[in-house]
Amino acid sequence: MKTFKLENEPKIQTGFKIPENYFDDLSIKIMEQLPASEPKVISIFKKRKSLILMAAAILILALMIPILNNLSTTKKELDSTTLENYITYQSNVNQYDLISVLETEDITNMNTSIVLEDQAVEDVLSTNSNLENLILE
Amino acid sequence: MQEEQEFIKQLLNTKTQNQAFQRLILDYQRPLYNHIRTIVLNHDDTDDVLQNTFIKIFQHLKNFKGDSKLFSWMYRIATNEALTFLKQKSKISSISSETLQNKTIDNLEADVFFDGNEIQLKLQKAIALLPEKQQLVFKMKYFEELKYETISEILGTSVGGLKASYHIAVKKIEAFVSTN
Repeated sequence: MKTFKLENEPKIQTGFKIPENYFDDLSIKIMEQLPASEPKVISIFKKRKSLILMAAAILILALMIPILNNLSTTKKELDSTTLENYITYQSNVNQYDLISVLETEDITNMNTSIVLEDQAVEDVLSTNSNLENLILE
Repeated sequence: MQEEQEFIKQLLNTKTQNQAFQRLILDYQRPLYNHIRTIVLNHDDTDDVLQNTFIKIFQHLKNFKGDSKLFSWMYRIATNEALTFLKQKSKISSISSETLQNKTIDNLEADVFFDGNEIQLKLQKAIALLPEKQQLVFKMKYFEELKYETISEILGTSVGGLKASYHIAVKKIEAFVSTN
């Protein structure tokens, strides 16, 4: 067989045939298959997403209300030092007012604590050099 | 080019999208059909791949950068779809893609949608023996008569490389036809 040269030959076609009228309804067929509502689906999904986010944010805020309340109430509470200072320097509460509020038991407790400290008082008195002057007066 | 950009805008606008896409199908169905047919060879498979290609094009329109022409972008998608289809087909029937191609060519003789004469059939057989890239280049250059610049855009290969591939392909085909 003689050597075959592609460029010397008349153009060889593919030989493929296409069914008649194939292209007539192809575009319709494809259009039907398109995910038509896809952009809308995305937008609805996005809306939903933002709705969920909004609900979550509101929920978190709602859950935080008791915590916030607690925070503000604890802030209002006074610590004992401030209270003591207030009573000592600012108020006109005197000893008798305090005694009237105290129960008898409280008072006896206070007394015993003073009795226990007698030794300490004695020590202070014996070491105090001014004591004799005070007695003389 | 100006006109093409206008057309792309219509394709992206949800209001004009459907009408524009219908026009896109009508404009490109034949060249894309021919392109896919040269790769997958029989009509039914081409039909499947072509429809998938258009659906893919539609889905990825918003990603179209416009740095290449719409035409070559669509060709690229069609080429990928056709090659993927062949790979899947050979995987499903668990044979190599070469065997599959040879089988398909054998089937061509009995295909009602192939009326090729002896030389046409021989040419198809010769092409089937080429490596994938050379096949593509030869089909796009010889059958579809695309310019090297266009093929270069579609396949992402340099024009020089394409010319070399084409000439090697022609030499191999001529050798095959001469000896068979």
